[in-house]
Parts: sequence; structure tokens; C-alpha cells
Amino acid sequence: MNIIICLKQVPDTAKVKMNPDGTLIRTGVPSILNPYDHFALATALEIKKQTGAKIKVLSMGPSQASKVLRLALALGADEGYLLSDKAFAGSDTWATAYALSCAIKKISPFDLILCGQMAIDGDTAQTGPEIAGQLNIPQITFCSNIEEVSPKTLTVKKLIDGGHQILEITLPALITLTTPHNFVFPYPSFTDIFKAQEKPLFTWTAQDVNADINKLGLKGSPTRVAKIYPPVQKQKGAVKTLSADDTALEIIKILQAQKVIK
Amino acid sequence: MQKIDTVSRQLMLESLKHYAEQKLPFDFLRKSDAENYFSAEKVKEIYKTLGINLLLIPREYGGLASSTSDIYRICQALARIDLGIATAIFATFLGSDPINVGGTEEQKKYWFSKMARENLLVAYGATEADAGSDLIALKTRAEQIIKDGKITHYKINGSKMWISNGGIADLYTVLALAPGGPCWFLIPRDTKGFTQLKHEDKHGIRLANTAGLCFENVIVPAENLIGLKEGQGFLQAQAVFGYTRLMVAALALGAGQEAVENAIIYANNRVQAGSPLSHKQGYMHKLITPHYIKFEAARSFIDQIAKILDTNNYGQATEGAIAKYYASRAANAAADDAIEALGGFGYTKDFPVEKIKRDVKITCIYEGTSEIMEMTIYRGRWQEHLKTRGNFYLDKAKEISTDIYKDIGGKALSLGLNALNDILEECRLNRLTRHQHITLELGRLIASAEVAFAFIKQAQSGSVVEGCPFNLETIKTMARINAKNVALEIASSGAKLLNSALEKPTEKDLYISEIAKECCGIIKDMDSISSVLKDTFRK
Amino acid sequence: MTDLKSYKNIWVFAEIDQINKTLKSVSLELLSAAKKLAGELNCKTAVVIIGQENKKFFDEFSKYGADIIYNIEDVSFTHYDTQNYFQILFALTKKYKPEAILFPSTYIGRDLAPRLASRLSCGLTADCTALSSKDANLVQSRPAFGGNIMADIICPNTRPQMATVRANILPKIILDIPTKPQIIEEHFKAIPSKVRLIKTKEDKRSEILKPEEADIVISIGRGVKNKETFSLIKEIAGKLGAALGATRPVIEEGLLPKNHQIGQSGVTVKPKIYISFGISGALQHTVGMNNSDLIISVNKDDKAPIFNLCQYGFVGDVEQIVPKILQAINKLK
Repeated sequence: MNIIICLKQVPDTAKVKMNPDGTLIRTGVPSILNPYDHFALATALEIKKQTGAKIKVLSMGPSQASKVLRLALALGADEGYLLSDKAFAGSDTWATAYALSCAIKKISPFDLILCGQMAIDGDTAQTGPEIAGQLNIPQITFCSNIEEVSPKTLTVKKLIDGGHQILEITLPALITLTTPHNFVFPYPSFTDIFKAQEKPLFTWTAQDVNADINKLGLKGSPTRVAKIYPPVQKQKGAVKTLSADDTALEIIKILQAQKVIK
Repeated sequence: MQKIDTVSRQLMLESLKHYAEQKLPFDFLRKSDAENYFSAEKVKEIYKTLGINLLLIPREYGGLASSTSDIYRICQALARIDLGIATAIFATFLGSDPINVGGTEEQKKYWFSKMARENLLVAYGATEADAGSDLIALKTRAEQIIKDGKITHYKINGSKMWISNGGIADLYTVLALAPGGPCWFLIPRDTKGFTQLKHEDKHGIRLANTAGLCFENVIVPAENLIGLKEGQGFLQAQAVFGYTRLMVAALALGAGQEAVENAIIYANNRVQAGSPLSHKQGYMHKLITPHYIKFEAARSFIDQIAKILDTNNYGQATEGAIAKYYASRAANAAADDAIEALGGFGYTKDFPVEKIKRDVKITCIYEGTSEIMEMTIYRGRWQEHLKTRGNFYLDKAKEISTDIYKDIGGKALSLGLNALNDILEECRLNRLTRHQHITLELGRLIASAEVAFAFIKQAQSGSVVEGCPFNLETIKTMARINAKNVALEIASSGAKLLNSALEKPTEKDLYISEIAKECCGIIKDMDSISSVLKDTFRK
Repeated sequence: MTDLKSYKNIWVFAEIDQINKTLKSVSLELLSAAKKLAGELNCKTAVVIIGQENKKFFDEFSKYGADIIYNIEDVSFTHYDTQNYFQILFALTKKYKPEAILFPSTYIGRDLAPRLASRLSCGLTADCTALSSKDANLVQSRPAFGGNIMADIICPNTRPQMATVRANILPKIILDIPTKPQIIEEHFKAIPSKVRLIKTKEDKRSEILKPEEADIVISIGRGVKNKETFSLIKEIAGKLGAALGATRPVIEEGLLPKNHQIGQSGVTVKPKIYISFGISGALQHTVGMNNSDLIISVNKDDKAPIFNLCQYGFVGDVEQIVPKILQAINKLK
């Protein structure tokens, strides 16, 4: 079985803060492997353990993004591919999915593509299904677990509102995975990190993957960012002294406004 | 042979951080500190999971053969987790050093392979009750046992004190005096006649096991003598002093950074009179900012010396002493102020700064006290001063008086180095170094001067040290502030120092008024650094 | 170049709940938004509904302003299936050329919309929290960088403009006069899917929520003195689906297990709503909760530092206020 995992290097958004003027403070914000992708990788490594699958990891970004590929190689992936080209800069999810699908076609054959459900810096959850669309292969998004693996099919647990479904999908297919709350992110040993230096890691340009330059970057992106601005700041509210009844009523009103209760 | 590259180094540091977050949370460290106990198994778990013990072992024996530049970063990162645990791991590095330096190929093969395979905990047994930095007073003896005209064994008698991992190690490298002179022996824990004493009840680094060792007629095979040749022990020990002291500097740096960063995070959250403490100039300029500037200066110095050691392997004894002395004192002062920065909270064990303050004191003591460092620094540079007929610091002063150093305090520090040269010359002409008081103070001033020099060289190089969280502009500003502070410190301390030993005042003005003029703009620069610090360390 | 002018009308994808087969309320929020946009852009609103027995929802659509309903009914479309739903929407879009399509930002909406966008080569904006129009374009506002910034997104050169929109944010507005929607029946034959549904299961809400995972956290401090009040708070938490948290002194008294301690030596939480009862707000506690989206605090001391952090502060006796809150909630249900 050949598995391709799409990985993204992201700024650790938990550590991103804003200046009062609405710009992002970028100093001291570490770059990490998108946590959802980390889980996707761990899932693939589990499949590798069971079936001896070959794992190829793919990322798009500047040369520093090779760090997440090296992390994946250290954790047990077999080959890494970095799409790195000025032509990719500014791509929205559509153009990103296009570029990644071009690379995937070149890496082919594959049985399974795994993606994290979303990246924490964009929160779109679109790139995965857009890749599936580009490749015209079946997809299941927001899976919490891969229950069973066979050479031709996969059984997964997928989240739906208020519950979950068990679904079987015919391969080749694309699955996006959500990360369980209690997931402990695996990290490689120093030895595995060192050994990963020797594993194959390729850097490809747009031309290398036969991508149409007009479909890449800002030019190839249907969406445009018209404006960026700080969210409405949380205001320090007034402190009220009311009777117990009125306090309770006010709190109920707030909860209603927040749609916690009807 | 392939070396650990930048990406791998980053990944290793990240793995270490993940490990600590998952396995060594603060509550656990706090409890271990209170109980004065951290088991050998826990240290070994770190070895097994991460392979951190393989760093110093050569590739051909299953190790990673990492460079000094790798190891100092790991030490720094370990100290951020807990200086006691860092010490336990560092002791394993230290314990294997004599094999690296003096071992025969066969010894290396046997012992390194065993250490890699079995994740051995190693201890470095040099110190005795009456022999610390003065190893010459060594009392532990190794007698030759001769059979058929050949030395087959040694019989060791004596005792060691304050040995890190002393109570828990699997293997000990022990310094003893043989008939042919001092030498290192490899002694496994279970050797007959060898006992380990109780774990000390220490002020800090309570997670590091520290114990005395006792040798009563301990028989070790002659092949356990490192290098198979008597009398090499001191040389082997001294060869690595530059290296080991550099590592202590990195340990101090890590612990100090952790303390100050904790304080900054606190200051960002604690609102007083309408604004966070981190917005208050008085608070930041007194308790936080000066320390972090010194840390970045220390980082530059350590990094530069590590790079030299990566190409030369040994030596750099004076530089190692400067690094250790400077970083450990900076870290202690910073940890002390970090407690104050947290007010009452800082004084409780709920916050980590109190523990760091206790832990970090050790960096002023082990591998030679600060006073031994001052002496070493003074001796090393006094020789240079004499040898170069006073050009040692004048050359450096000249180097940074050019335009490219103009914006980073080049002129101020250049004046400071001229002043330092004048001070040394006055000491020479008036034979003032007969006062030990003077020699130690010279050591202090030299350390500040050389670190400041390294810092502005770094700022001028166009890039920051790998792992530094700041941009070049910030480093330049820090280097500028530091250069000015140090220059003024040399001139003012120097004036006092000379005159306090002289009958009538020195005629040298030590450029004091010129340097004072260079101090314009320090507060503005510090404001910008304070602002960067509060933005960089948030939670 | 696409002829943008040939694209008309704002579509809403109406979602049916996969467990209880009801119309998801967010569909009507989207319809209200579509109605407003259609007014601004001088076009019509349309609902696309795929499923079985859809007609029972048509009254709702007319109440909220649907001008057109595209109805696709077939027993084989009872359960959501990416491939089948995609092929239907793809065909309809090609045939009727909508100006914009709004999807709920749900598991289904976020599965279907990107699939469609990728095949139509159209722009899609995820998880929008506001919609407006400017120069004949749909302006889609969404938070990014973990909510640290807001971005307005437009798709000036492609049609249809597509967005998934977060539920429970936009208002539902009932019209004074319901519309009389034109109903267009469209027939599709199900294609054999490569995804087979084995089972659907409802997840019971777990009894004890962890504070770091919950959207709502109710936290108690030493101001909650008696056990009776504590059990009432537990009841409120149960009704709101909130997790319980506490300060260290409360944990040390054993009222809650250690993993419910919030703050310096406990867990850090960032729920949508944080309600604190009887917590003064010492720094050890607040470092673990000060990034919560909305903070409501009740404490008897009007100088308590917690009031510097919260959006809604109430000075009063927790013991008296808590029972009143529970009464009020019970009355609502």
C-alpha cells in the first residue's frame, strides 16, 4: 500500500498575539507541524506497522518547511517531497490543492492520501477535499479514526453533527482526519532524527510537477483577501450590583444571546 | 563523516521539549525537588526514549558524535527543564570525556559500545574533600599489582566527594594517583570494595544525585587504566576544561533564561495600576531587560567558542572560564531578580523561579568556583598581555573602532578596551598583581570585555546565533547597550581598582569622560528591548 | 474569461440532520442572509434541498424568504453522500448559474462545498461569520490565525462565489409576508458510490466533561461555601453542557478531582464561555483562563481582580444567585 500524507508547517497559533494596531506579532512564534497533520502521520505510521505500507510525505512551502518533512521521516515516513517555488506564493486553498494534486500525480501510484482535517493557521478544512476533487477520487472528511485497512478498502469512523458514522470507502481515496483530544504527539529520538538525514527528500518546483503557472499563486487563486483587521476587542464589561433575581435573569439573557439556551 | 545538520539539531531540541512537556511537568519536578529524589530509572528513560546519551559517543560505536555546537544547545535546553536532570546527563558526558581524550582505540570501542548499548549512567570522580580545583592534592591512590613482571591490576584506596550520579551510576571514571602519576580508571559500580555514600541534601539541583564514593582495596584490571599509561590524568582532565566549562556556561544560560522568561510572562499578565508590569519602565529596566541582554551576549560568546572547539577539539581554557564565569554570574543575578519580579508569588514554590534560583547557584561552583575562574582568566590573559607587549586588547580595540561597528557600540567598547589595556599596564608597571584582590577583579573585567567584544562581532556578522529568538536589529541594539555598559564598568571599576592599590592616583584617565559621552541613548535602546521581550515571551 | 453577468441569484444549501432528519436551523440563518444579499444585489434567493420527503420544510423556506426551491427527492438520497450530492449540485450549478452559494459550516457543508469549488474552479471561503456585498461582489468575513485576525475575502473573477457559514452567528429573520416560492423539481439518478454507509450512531454527551475540551466552563472558587450550592452548580453545568472547573483551594478540599483545577498548577482552558462563581481572580487561577472568549463572573467583593478580566461582572452572593439561575433555566425548558 502506498500512502501519501500532505503536511503543512504552520506558526503555532496558540502563541500568536496581536499588536494593538491589529498587526500580528511574529517574533518568537515557533513553526510547528500542523497538529492535525501530525495525527494523520501517526495514523499512517500505525497502518505501516500493520501492513508494511510505504509512506511518502508531501509539503508545500519555503525551504524551511523541509523541517516538517524531516520530522515525518524521523518518525518513520519513507520519502519526502517539498514543493518550493516562488510561483506557489500566495496560493489560496484552490491553488494549493491544484499544486499538491500535480505533485501527487507525479508521486503516483498511491492507494491512500491522508490529510489533517485543517491547518491551524487557516482553519479552512478545504485543501483536503479540494485535492480529492482535483484528482477525482472519493473522499471522507473529518474522520476520527481508521478502523480497518484492507488492500482495496478502508473502514473509517467519521464525525457528523451529534454523532458519528462508520463508512467503508473504496481505494484509492482521500481521508481527512481530526485529532482526538487525548492524542499524545509522538516525537522522534535523536538517533531517528539523525538517520532521517539520509532518507530521500526531494525539492520540486512548479515546473518539476508540470503545474500550469496560471493556476498557481495569487494569480491562480480565485479568492482575494480584501482586508485584514483585528477582531472586535473583548471589552471589559461593567460590573453590576443587582438583586439575586435580577442577576440570575441577566446571566440567563447573556446565555440566550450566546445561544447556549433558548 | 556526516554531521548533525541544523534541521536535525532543531528537531532534537523539539523532541527534548516534547519529552519534558509529557514526562516532566513542573508539578512532578517540584515534588521531586521537595523529596530530594529523582531515580536512576528516570534518567535512563530519557536515555532510552531520546538517545541523548549517544551524543558524545563516536559514530562507529553506535553514537551520534555530535559537535560542541550541538551539545551546548542540548545542555542549555536541558537546564531549562531542570538543572538537576541536566547535571545528571551532563555527568554522563563528563564521565566519558577521559575515554574520548585519552582512551586507546580498543578501550573506546569496548566502553563506548557498552555505554551506547546499555544506556549506562556514568559518573566523573575527580573531586575529593581536600582536592577540588587543586587536584594536585589528590589523595586517592592506585597501587600496581604485578604478576610475572607485568602490571595486571591496580588496587585503589581513597574516597571522592560530591560526585554527580555518585549514588546511581553504572560506571565511574575515577582519578587516582598511581606510582607514575595521576590517572583515570574505569570502575564498574559492582566492583568489590567500592561503595557509594548517601545522596547529599543540597541547596539546589536536588534532582541530581550527588554522593561520595569510597574505595577500599578495590581491584581493577590494568586494562581499565585509561590510555594504558600512568601520569596522563591531569593532562587529560585539563584538555577538556575549556569544553566542560563552556557546557556549564550553557547550563547556566538555559536556567537563567527560563527564570527571566517566567518573570516576563508573569509581568505580561499581572496588571498593576491599570497596566501590566511588563509595560513599566522601572520594572523592566531593573529586573528584566539587563539580564536578558547579558544572556544574549553570553550566547554569542558561547557559540563562538563552541565553533572554535568544533575545529580544534581541545584548549580554549581561558575562554571556557570566561564563558562559565560570565554566564553563571549573569544567570544567578537574573534568577534572584526573577523572584523579586514575581513578588510574593516568586517567593513561593508554586512558581518555578524559586527553584531555579536555588539550582543555578551550582553553576558558580562546580567545574571550578567563580573565584577559580577569575584567577584562570586573569592568568591566561596576563600572559597574553605580556607576550604581546600590551597589544592584545589594543588590537581588539582597533578592530572594532572602524565604521562597521559604529552603530553597535564599537566606539564605546573600543575605548573600554583601551582602558583595559591601560589598567593592565598600570598593574604591570606598579606590580599591582601582587594583590590577589586585584587579580580577581581583573578577571572579572576581562570576562565582561571579551564577552562584549564577541557580542558586537556577532551583531556585525549579519546573522543571529541559531536558536536565538530575536532578529538582527534587536541583537544589534542589545550589543550596543552592552558595549556601553561594559566600557563604563571597565573605566570606573578600573579607576577605583588602581587607586585603591596605589599610593598616589594614577595619571591614566581611562577615557572615562569619553566613554560617559558614548552612553547617550541607552534608555531609549533599553525601552525598545523591553518592548521586544514582552512581545516575545507570552503565554 | 467567465461572463460574470450571466450568473444570478443567491443559493442556500439546506442541510438535513443525519440523525433525526430535521432541517438544520442554520439553513434558515443562511436563507435570511441570502435574502438580505439578494436585496442588495437585486436578485432572487433559492434553496437547494436534497433528500427524501422534503416538502415538509417548504413552509419554513417561504417564511424565511425563499424565492425558488430546487427540490431533489429520492429515497437513495436519504443519507448524505459526497459523490451523489456533488454531482447534483455540479449539474444544477452548470444549468442555473447561481451568483453565490452558501453552505452551512457543518461536517456536511465543509465536505461538499470544497469538492464542488475544486471542480468548478471557484473561490470558496471557509467558516464565515459575516456576509455583505460590495461592488457586486460577496464580501465574506472570517476569523483567521486561531481567531487572532479577521479577514474579508472576495472572489472578483469567478462565479459562483461560495462560502461556508458558521451556525448560530447570523440572525434568522421571519418575513412579515411569506414568499410564494417557485418549486423546481429536478430528477437525478443515484450513481453507485465508492463510499458505503455501514452505520450512523448518536453520541451521548459524556457525563463528566473535561474543562480543557468544553465550550462552556463553570468554575468555582472558595466563595462557593456549601455543598448544596455546589450540587446546584453541577446541575446547571449538566443543563448547559458545561464542564466544571475550580481553583486550587477548592480542589484541595476535594470537591473535584485534580484534573479540574484551572490555573498555574492545573490546566489552561479557553472555552467560548467561562462562568466563575465565587472566584476572586488571583493570578494563579487567571493565567489558566484569561484567554476565554467570554467571561461571566459572580463574586461578592466588588474589588475582586476577576472583575478586571470579565465582560460581565456581578457583585453578589453566590449562594443566593445560583439557585435563582437554576430556577430560571428550569422555567425555560
